[in-house]
Amino acid sequence: MREIVACFKWVIDEAYIRRGSGGDLDLSAVNYKISDYDRNAIEEAVRLKEKCGGSITAVTVGVPEATRGIKDALSRGADRAVFIADALFAGLEPSQTASVLSEAIRAGTQFDLILCGEGSSDLYAQQVGPRLAEKLGIPCICYVQKLDVEGDLLTAERRVEEGVEVVEAKLPALVTVLPDINTPRIPGVKDTLTASKKPVVTVTAAELKSIAEARLKTTGITAFRMERSCERFGTDDKEITRFVGALRKKGVI
Amino acid sequence: MAGIWVYADNPSLTLELLTAASSIAEGLKTGVAVILSHDRDRAQDYIDCGADEVFLLPPLSGDRSAGDYAPVIADAAREKKPDAILVAGTSGGKEIAARVAARLDTGLCGNCISMSVEGDSLVMDRFMYGGAAVQKVAFMAKPALATIPPRAYEPSRPTPGRQGKVEELPAPPISGIKVAGRRGREKRTEDISEAQVVVCAGRGFEKKEDLAMAREIADLLGGSVGCTRPVSEELHWLPEELCIGLSGIEVKPALYLGIGVSGQIQHVTGIRDAKIVSAVNKDENAPIFAVADMGIVGDLYEVLPKLISALKKAKG
Ligand SMILES: Cc1cc2nc3c(=O)[nH]c(=O)nc-3n(C[C@H](O)[C@H](O)[C@H](O)COP(=O)(O)OP(=O)(O)OC[C@H]3O[C@@H](n4cnc5c(N)ncnc54)[C@H](O)[C@@H]3O)c2cc1C
Ligand SMILES: Nc1ncnc2c1ncn2[C@@H]1O[C@H](COP(=O)(O)O)[C@@H](O)[C@H]1O
Repeated sequence: MREIVACFKWVIDEAYIRRGSGGDLDLSAVNYKISDYDRNAIEEAVRLKEKCGGSITAVTVGVPEATRGIKDALSRGADRAVFIADALFAGLEPSQTASVLSEAIRAGTQFDLILCGEGSSDLYAQQVGPRLAEKLGIPCICYVQKLDVEGDLLTAERRVEEGVEVVEAKLPALVTVLPDINTPRIPGVKDTLTASKKPVVTVTAAELKSIAEARLKTTGITAFRMERSCERFGTDDKEITRFVGALRKKGVI
Repeated sequence: MAGIWVYADNPSLTLELLTAASSIAEGLKTGVAVILSHDRDRAQDYIDCGADEVFLLPPLSGDRSAGDYAPVIADAAREKKPDAILVAGTSGGKEIAARVAARLDTGLCGNCISMSVEGDSLVMDRFMYGGAAVQKVAFMAKPALATIPPRAYEPSRPTPGRQGKVEELPAPPISGIKVAGRRGREKRTEDISEAQVVVCAGRGFEKKEDLAMAREIADLLGGSVGCTRPVSEELHWLPEELCIGLSGIEVKPALYLGIGVSGQIQHVTGIRDAKIVSAVNKDENAPIFAVADMGIVGDLYEVLPKLISALKKAKG
């Protein structure tokens, strides 16, 4: 194998999201991360490179602050990165993200295999991968739990309703990965140090032909409300009996 | 003209989509069409169940996968200009929907949780941030595409005497993907989406055999066992159709008991309509306690044996 592209997204870590008093989303204390399953996409690229050679380009579309994600992706084993960065990219919807990715990749990135996550942690639209494959006119294999490449032939096990389908395709192709395809390794100090020496190409919105109009418009976002009584019980026999009694009283057993 | 199209890769999901389609067809003053690849001889059944038109996809040879239909569906839509295409949210359905949307350069609401007609447009809700938020979307292009999670709608029932048109669609072009083999699921497990009691096993269990304790509690309560995504997908201790949450199924039991479940939002999204949420977790700061009515803070290996005997005693 020659060139592997891993697409990743830099997202809000949803564990930090709070609900404001008015039911709005409180994002004041959030942290960011590489979208969970994109770590599996990067890891799979590294695994394939270790087995068949080649080199890995990590690609992301995001706001300029996502540069922290670039460092993270490089420390996870990508050889170089393409950072398609612009303040305009804050609220792209999946069709726009896929267009931007396809244009930028066509313009200057070699690829034999493109890897994406099954879905992003923030939108979980499960679209950008297959849309990108269509835009690039290459075969697309989604929800893959096992992947192998020999020469220019790819073999993948993908999850379908009826079970598992084993499929073959000639490269170039695009694959979206399930989280059980691998266990992403955790970068060490040395990985972080070498990451800062790796090449990064930045592409801005102005360098692209034009940004497609949104096809799907977000007209509102409301925080999800879950109100529960939060009663605590201990572990001694009396407390367990009280727990069972409470379930009875509530009429659920 | 049928303005709402539905496509599912199996018959029962097709019937669910017909219910979904009928619920918006009236508001959009249009009809409903089924795109049919499986059991082609049942076209009239779908007409009885609400379809005004049926588009028949030619059967595929065994080495081709359903994804090959994407160009045919896209071409038909380009010609006939439907208002919306609803696709069953199975893995195959989600892929085909995204590829059709790309070919038609239109919007797709993935994992739609509710839809309605406002004025003459479709408006849909979906989860964002793992379920921490609900995103409302409107479509800026036609057709509007959406994937609908399985079991979100009741299957449509037949009204005898309905009439409809049947039309053949052309065979799909050869694709670059060849199916070299298929493996069925080990066995279909029970459907836990309607269970009255759900005992959910999380990664807090140390080994597969220990799930017997969860099973015993479920049996004592007349309920079913479900699990978190790592238990089905990483550990493969339970089949994936028992995974509860954003990427799994939604359950609405009277009682949910999470054991060794941390309570990340993607999981909690699948239990939002449980009447009572309870949990056993040894970490008092586990997020599950903030969304539980009743929480036992303790080691499951200490708590479960006690809970089992207390339940037995309560049963008398
Ligand atoms: C896009 C996306 C979609 C996802 N969809 C889903 C989904 O549909 N469903 C889903 O479940 N997850 C989903 N996830 C994963 C989710 O974020 C969590 O990682 C997952 O739910 C955690 O599972 P868990 O609680 O079993 O494991 P962990 O988070 O590892 O939690 C284990 C818990 O067990 C407790 N514990 C350990 N030992 C003991 C003991 N001896 N006694 C008692 N308690 C103990 C620990 O304190 C801990 O809280 C999704 C993630 C993403 C990014
Ligand atoms: N902004 C982005 N930049 C690069 N890759 C992305 C971006 N958004 C989504 N992807 C890729 O597409 C996958 C699916 O995303 P989504 O369609 O949003 O669920 C992700 O797992 C990534 O691999």
